[in-house]
Amino acid sequence: MNKHVKTIAPETTDLSRRSFLVGTAATGLVLGYAGVPGIGDALAAAPANFEPSVWYAISPDGLVTVTCGKADMGQHIASTMAQIVCEELGAKWSDMRVNLASNDPKFNDPVLGAQITGGSWSTMMNFEAMSRAGAAGRIALTEAAAAAMGLPPYFKDELVVRDSMVLHPKSKKQMSFADIVKSGKATKTFTPDELKAIKLKSPDQYTMIGVSVPQIDIPSKTNGTAKYGIDVMLPGMVYGAIVTPPVRYGATVKSVDDSAAKSVPGFIKAVILDDKTQTTTGWVVAVASTYANAKKAAAALKVSYDGGPNAKLSSQSLLDEAKRLQKLDDSGQFFVKDGDVGAALGSAAKVLEAEYTTSINIHAPMEPMNATAEFKGDILHIYSGNQFATRSGAIAAGAAGIDPKFVVMHQMWLGGGFGRRLDADMMVPAVQAAKAVGKPVKVIYTRENDMTMDFSRPLTYQKVKAGVDGDGKLVALSHDVVSAWPTQRWGIPDFLSPSVDKKGPLDAFTVNGSDFFYTVPNHNVRAIKNEMAHNATPSGQLRSVAPGWTFWAVESMIDEIAAATGKDPAQFRISLLDGAGKNDGGAQRLRNTLLAAMGLAGYGTKKLPKGEGMGVACVSSQERATASWTACVAHVAVAPSGEVTVKKLTVATDVGTQVHPDNIRAQVEGAALWGLSLAMYEKATLKDGGIEQTNFDGYTPLRMSQMPEVAVAVIANGEKATGVGEPAVTVVAPAIGNAIFNASGARVRALPITAEAVKGAMKA
Amino acid sequence: MPTLTINGRSMSVDAANDTPLLWAIREQLQMTGTKFGCGAGLCGACTVHVNGEAVRSCQTMVGDVAGKKITTIEGLSAKGDHPLQKAWIAEQVPQCGYCQSGQIMQAASLLAKNSNPTKEEVVAHMDGNLCRCMTYSRIQKAIMRAATEMRTASAAGNDRRPT
Repeated sequence: MNKHVKTIAPETTDLSRRSFLVGTAATGLVLGYAGVPGIGDALAAAPANFEPSVWYAISPDGLVTVTCGKADMGQHIASTMAQIVCEELGAKWSDMRVNLASNDPKFNDPVLGAQITGGSWSTMMNFEAMSRAGAAGRIALTEAAAAAMGLPPYFKDELVVRDSMVLHPKSKKQMSFADIVKSGKATKTFTPDELKAIKLKSPDQYTMIGVSVPQIDIPSKTNGTAKYGIDVMLPGMVYGAIVTPPVRYGATVKSVDDSAAKSVPGFIKAVILDDKTQTTTGWVVAVASTYANAKKAAAALKVSYDGGPNAKLSSQSLLDEAKRLQKLDDSGQFFVKDGDVGAALGSAAKVLEAEYTTSINIHAPMEPMNATAEFKGDILHIYSGNQFATRSGAIAAGAAGIDPKFVVMHQMWLGGGFGRRLDADMMVPAVQAAKAVGKPVKVIYTRENDMTMDFSRPLTYQKVKAGVDGDGKLVALSHDVVSAWPTQRWGIPDFLSPSVDKKGPLDAFTVNGSDFFYTVPNHNVRAIKNEMAHNATPSGQLRSVAPGWTFWAVESMIDEIAAATGKDPAQFRISLLDGAGKNDGGAQRLRNTLLAAMGLAGYGTKKLPKGEGMGVACVSSQERATASWTACVAHVAVAPSGEVTVKKLTVATDVGTQVHPDNIRAQVEGAALWGLSLAMYEKATLKDGGIEQTNFDGYTPLRMSQMPEVAVAVIANGEKATGVGEPAVTVVAPAIGNAIFNASGARVRALPITAEAVKGAMKA
Repeated sequence: MPTLTINGRSMSVDAANDTPLLWAIREQLQMTGTKFGCGAGLCGACTVHVNGEAVRSCQTMVGDVAGKKITTIEGLSAKGDHPLQKAWIAEQVPQCGYCQSGQIMQAASLLAKNSNPTKEEVVAHMDGNLCRCMTYSRIQKAIMRAATEMRTASAAGNDRRPT
C-alpha cells in the first residue's frame, strides 16, 4: 500500500518524544504524515521536531514553520496564519516561516471541512483554530521548560513567554524554544476538549495581532525566487500547449491532422482530451520537448470541430433569454420572501421599475492557468497553484480514471486567483497528456486560451421594482436575478441553499447581497437560472461573486428611490438602516461605515464645480452569514461628451479585528480598484458561442494611468475579524453610478459604464 | 546553439533562433523569475534588460540578442538588494507578486537614466506593466523611495570622492 493513502502512526517511542497533534474541531485527533509520500520517512529520520499541531512544527533550531491550508494568491494569508499562531505561541516574528499544505485532509479548513479558499472567509474561519494551536504549543513548551529548569509544576504560572523564549524572572532562568525542542521534553498532548478549554488572550494582551509585521512571502516576490505553478521543473518533464475550440463550451473534436505538427522539432504527440468530468469540451494538447515547440506544434495542428449546441449564441441571446425568463411568473426560486410584495406594490403611492445588467467578465490573473502532472508509481502528483485542492484533486483523479485518494496536490504560490483557481480545468490536459506520453507534463495556457476559456463572471440581468408609500417610505422591493449559476456547476450539494418557497436548492452565490440589512417590510428576491448562459458560458466565482452584481442593482435602485422622493441618498440609506428585527447589529455597523466614508470624503460639505458629483453606496458583502461592512463615496467628473473621470474613491470598512492593518489597506485598495476596473474598463462579449476578447488589448483591466486617488478608512471596533479581500469590489460600481447621476443627471444601469451610455442618459 | 550573455555569464541555450527569449531563459536556463503573462507584449510580466533597455522577452527572439548584455531579475543585484528591491520590501508592494519581477525591471530602466522622475514620468514609463492585484500606488511609492535612496547614495558617493 502506498504511503499516501496509509495513515502512518509514528512509532510509540517517537510519539512520546516529538509528535503529537492536537487536532482541529472538525477532524479531531489526527496522527501521522500521510499527505506527501516520503515525508513520513523524512520526518522520522529527522529527530526532535516538535509538532504541537498539524498547523506548525518547531525545529531544533527554533524556527516555527506554519503550514497554511489556504491558497495564497496575494492576500498574504500564509503570513496571516503565521501571525495568529505567533501571537499565542509567543514566538519571535523573525523565527516564523510558512509552508503551503498538500491536499491531505488533515489540512482541511476547520470550519469548512475542505480545502477551499474564497469568500473572504479565511481569517474569520481560521482565527480561532490557529490561536488555539499557538496557545497549545506555548503551554506545552512552558511546562517542558519548567521541568528542564527544575521548577516544580506549580511554578509554571511564573513563567513568561516572549520572543521564542521561556523566562522565569524570579530565578532569572530562561530557555529558548530551540533548546526546549532539543531537550525532547515537550510532550504534552491535548484532547479536542482540552484544546477548546484553553483560555485565549484577550485583545488588550495582543502584541502581534494588529501589528503590520513584514509579510513573510514578500522578499521572495522581489527577487524572482517565489515559485508559482508555472515555475515547476521536474526531471524528464515535457510541455503541453492546448488548442481550444472557437466555442467556449459544447464543441467536440471531429478530427486532428498532425502531419504538419510532426515536422516541428521536439513534437511528441497530439492528445485529444477525453474529459469525463465535463470540465472541458473539444480540447487538444500538443506535447513537445519545450513550450515554444509545443506552441508551434499546437499552431500546426489542423483540428476540425463540431461546434455543438452553443455555437450560434451571443451575449445578446443570453440577455434576451434572461429577459424572457424573468417575465415568467413561475421562473426561479425565492431566496427572500418577506411580507406580501404583490399587495404592497399594488397599494404603493409610487412604483419604480428598473433593469440592471452586468457583462461577462474575465478573471485574467497575471499567471495564466497551468498545471504539471506526474504519475509516479500509484500516485498522481499535481503541481499547480489552486484555490480548491479538495475538488481539483478529484477532477484530476477523474481525468486520470483513478481514485482521488491517489492524487497528491502540491500547492504553489498563486500568480493571482480572484476565484479563477477555484476551477480545475487545467488539471485535465496536464493529467491526460502525462498519461498519454508517459512523462511529466507541464501544460501552460496561452493568454488567449486563458481568456477564451475562463470560467467567467456571468452576464447578469436584474429587474427591480420598488414601491413607496405616500410619505416616501420604501414599503416593497421585488428583485429578480437572472444569471448562470456558477456554484451549482461544481456539483457539490453542500454549496447550494434551500429556497424559501421550497422549490429545491438554489445557488445563493448568484443572489448573496440582495438579502441586505435595510429594513423593507415586503421584500422578494428570486434567483432565476439562465440555463442557456449556464451551458454556453460556464461561469465561475469572480472576486466577490454575487455581491458584485446584486449591490449594483440594489444600491443603484436605492438612489433612484431617493431621487424620486426628493431625499438625500445617504440620509435615505441611514433611515433604512434602522436595525429593526433581523437587521439588528449589522445595519448599525453598515450605517457607521457610511458615515465614516461620508466624513472622510467631505460628502455634503465640499463644494463641487459643475459637472462633478459624489455618490454613495454601502454593502454587506459577502454572504449575510459572513457579512462585512463597507461603504464608498465616489467623486466623479462627467464631461458633456459623457466621458467619466473618477477623481477619488473613499472607502470605509468595518473589519472588527484587524490582524495586519497594512495588509487590510492593501486588500481594500486593490479590491476597490477591481471594483473600478469592472465598473469602467472590463467587458467581455460572446459571439458565435466564443468569447471575443483574447488578450489584454481587447480585455483591458485598469492600468496605472487610470488609477484615481483612493482613501481607505479601516474601522477596528473589536468585533470578530471579517474578511477584507472582496467587499470593496462590490461597493464601487454603484457609488460611481450614483455619482454620475449627481454630477450629470444621467442614470446608468449597465456595467461597464460607457461614455455613450452616460451621454444617452443625460437629459437634453 | 546560440550563446547568450545573461547576468554577466555566457550560456549556450538549446533553442532555435526564433525562440522567444522568455522561454529560453525560463526553460533552458531555468531562471524562472521572468514571467509569462500574455505572449504579446501587452502586460510587461516578462520584462528584462537588453543592453540596459527594458524589453519584453516574449517579443524578443533568441537570435536577436546574441552578443548583447541581458539582465533578468536574478541578475539585477547580487543579493536582491537593488534600491528598488529594498523599496519594494519597505513599501510591502507585492500581493500575488507574479508581475513584480517585470515591474521592478521596468522601473530599473527608468531610474538608471533618471533618478529624479516626476510622478507623471513614472506613470508614463510604467503604464505598459499590468498588475492584476492593482498594487499601482505602492509601486509608485516604491519607485520614488528607491529614487531618493539612489540620489542620496550617489550624493554621498560624490562627497567621498577625492578632489
